[in-house]
Amino acid sequence: MRAAVLLIIGLVLSAALFPPQWYPPRLRFEIAQIVGTPAYDESAGSNMTAAEPEMMAPTEEACPEDLLGWRDAQTIDGVEIAAAPTCVADNPYAIAAFVRGTNNVSTDTLLRAGLAPDAVVKGADLDGDGDPDEIHIRLEVAELNGGSPDEQEPTAQFALAPGITPGLWVFAPKSFGMATENFESNVAMDLLRLPSPSMRIEQGDVVKVTLENTHYMPHTIHFHGVDHTYLTADGQGNDGTMTSENPLMPGEARTYELNPRSTGTAFYHCHVQSQAHILMGLQGMFVVEENRPSNTLQTLNIGAGQVRVTSQSSRESYTQEYDLHYTDLDSGLSGIIQRSNDPVEIERWIHGGYNLIESESDYYTLNGRSFPYTFRESLVVTGPDELIRLRVLNAGSEGLSLHPHGHKATATHLDGVLQSEGAQVTRDVFWLAPGQRADLTLNTTNDGLHSYGSGVWMLHDHGGRGITNNGIAPGGNMNAIVYREFLQPDGWPISQGEDMNMFFNPEFYRRADDMAGASASGAETEFTAWFMLRVMGFGLALGLALASLVKLMFPVVRSADES
Amino acid sequence: MKAERSHSRLSLRALPSLVLLMLCCGQGFAQVGSSTIEVIPIADRVPLAREVHSQHEHAADHNMQFDDRGMVMNSNSDVLPQDCESISEDIEFTVRAGTDYALNAAGRTFGFDVHDYRVPPCSRVTIHFYNDDQVRHQWMLHGLPRYLYPQGMFHLEANGGQHVMGSFIVPSDDATYLVHCDITQHMEKGMKAQLVVGAGSGDLWSVPGVSADFNRPTEKVPRGTWLLMTAMGMLAGAMLITMKR
Ligand SMILES: [Cu+2]
Ligand SMILES: [Cu+2]
Repeated sequence: MRAAVLLIIGLVLSAALFPPQWYPPRLRFEIAQIVGTPAYDESAGSNMTAAEPEMMAPTEEACPEDLLGWRDAQTIDGVEIAAAPTCVADNPYAIAAFVRGTNNVSTDTLLRAGLAPDAVVKGADLDGDGDPDEIHIRLEVAELNGGSPDEQEPTAQFALAPGITPGLWVFAPKSFGMATENFESNVAMDLLRLPSPSMRIEQGDVVKVTLENTHYMPHTIHFHGVDHTYLTADGQGNDGTMTSENPLMPGEARTYELNPRSTGTAFYHCHVQSQAHILMGLQGMFVVEENRPSNTLQTLNIGAGQVRVTSQSSRESYTQEYDLHYTDLDSGLSGIIQRSNDPVEIERWIHGGYNLIESESDYYTLNGRSFPYTFRESLVVTGPDELIRLRVLNAGSEGLSLHPHGHKATATHLDGVLQSEGAQVTRDVFWLAPGQRADLTLNTTNDGLHSYGSGVWMLHDHGGRGITNNGIAPGGNMNAIVYREFLQPDGWPISQGEDMNMFFNPEFYRRADDMAGASASGAETEFTAWFMLRVMGFGLALGLALASLVKLMFPVVRSADES
Repeated sequence: MKAERSHSRLSLRALPSLVLLMLCCGQGFAQVGSSTIEVIPIADRVPLAREVHSQHEHAADHNMQFDDRGMVMNSNSDVLPQDCESISEDIEFTVRAGTDYALNAAGRTFGFDVHDYRVPPCSRVTIHFYNDDQVRHQWMLHGLPRYLYPQGMFHLEANGGQHVMGSFIVPSDDATYLVHCDITQHMEKGMKAQLVVGAGSGDLWSVPGVSADFNRPTEKVPRGTWLLMTAMGMLAGAMLITMKR
């Protein structure tokens, strides 16, 4: 009998303590009929004026100060380096070392560059025209935002945009010492970044590219669209693909040989499990320049973007040159290396767990960054009456419809091949399929066709996805063509629209489904002490009722009790 | 940085979930629980520096040799730490590095042939570092006195197939120092070791052959846990109800 009483008590208590959030609408309506509607509750809806400031206060400076003077025009080891107009500029010591060769600069320059002495070795002038033609480049593979057996935070961090750190693999020039800015920092040093560096060589150069596989996965290099033999002189695979060679295992090195007869904008990428490795970041631009006398090239352009030491042939026709490397990334793929520290498990997931067919890209980058960071380092800064060469590569998995506002550009080369004059199309949207390249001439003569005059003109992918960070705009590969009168001395554009500081806050790019209580309709009640007591009471009462029910239903147990 | 700085924070963070585990699951979870509680003493020898140098600035203040074989940074075989009156002993280690030495570390790709170095206080330690791979590797030690070693660091870096050597003199107190290769993911994938001076100050986490990883896949609750929990709860309820007064 006691059990029946307990069952009733349990049921009544359960009903009384049932969390009101779970009442069915009908019951709430009935209760309101009896006791009246609940009072107005200010915390039940989103108060826009109260919610906004937190999201809009920048957590970092839009345009960090250039403390080391990297933006300035300067001469290092005899190399004249043009000024960088943007907020964040490449390390000029690394540029000098890439022009002279890491074997021909002072130790001080190498130390400031962070480069190994054999990163870019320049040898003999084979054709006697005043520039070295034997070039030996050494690349390593770095992992950015990778996992750790101990840390919760990613290691060797590289943010695409505020708070966005997907796992990445990149080719990087051979360096030395620490991979981070310093021992106390988790941020990768500046040679280790997305995209893999642009490479520039001269037509006819005798080039060796040694891949030193410092990574825990096998990789290769495939030179896409660059004249190269299928096998090297000594019969080794030279195409980087599964038909030419075995993948290069961790800790191994392999040298690829190039002696290109034709010029043009091409690219290079890893060809191991290419559906995954290319989109992890193992992709870079590769440019073969026309042979000219005294044409000492900037062999690597870290992070692509403005070429601060341009080639002789570029100088003949253009005032400036920019490498614009577009790609897209999928967090479903790049998250794998952050989830496990076991290479075998990582490989299992990349091979059989990840399905590119069912996935979609989340992040769209230009030169390794997404807006707002693109505005720090990728702006195309110009005056009137300039002719600018834009080398565009779409190395992503989706098409790119590149649209310059206020200008119509002309495509002189497609996939590195000069188009006949009649075929050089002038337009304002250029479609680049995955893997395609286009060399665009941007003419800033204010003639109502090529340019509509001065301003801060957007330059972006016209496909909507491309200007978002995981679906939140403005983001992605958003960039701008900025006329100098619209540029502040610190390199940030003078715009008349929204305050762009608010984009420098990870909160802005956090998706609503990650945000508890983001919308009024789904608002979550605060977990107060009173509510906790109520839930605990409810659980106990329900347990009591269930136990009583068990006792009532099983007489064997009851007889044991009564004996 | 990296592994060492966050140890105390991490173990504190694990506490609430531990308590919860023990409360809810009792002895049924002893096995899972114990792998979480097993607290490895934290070697907190790595000082947190206040000053932040750029990589480029600080590289220039180090005492270093740089050649085809690799580099040696802050090697010191004669200046004593302030707390040592003389060199207590000369210790030499021959260290081999590369993918071959990952064999002693499950789930790892890179390694040293020795991951645990033991030396007496005030000893002079000479490292002969051989790299058996075709890519760069490092033997980098952190936490030495900054008045002798810029950034508290002693660093050997050998190109593929090369050999470099260097020495340092350890201070007198018992301490455990972090040794690693700082090329991205090399420490995470096995190139992590510890140098224990005297009795040391405990083991570091995730040193191959010495200590466990902090983030272990085994910490996932095994299949059937919820079923077991529910069954135990019901059993307890039934026992409570059938208990005699
Ligand atoms: Cu690869
Ligand atoms: Cu290493």
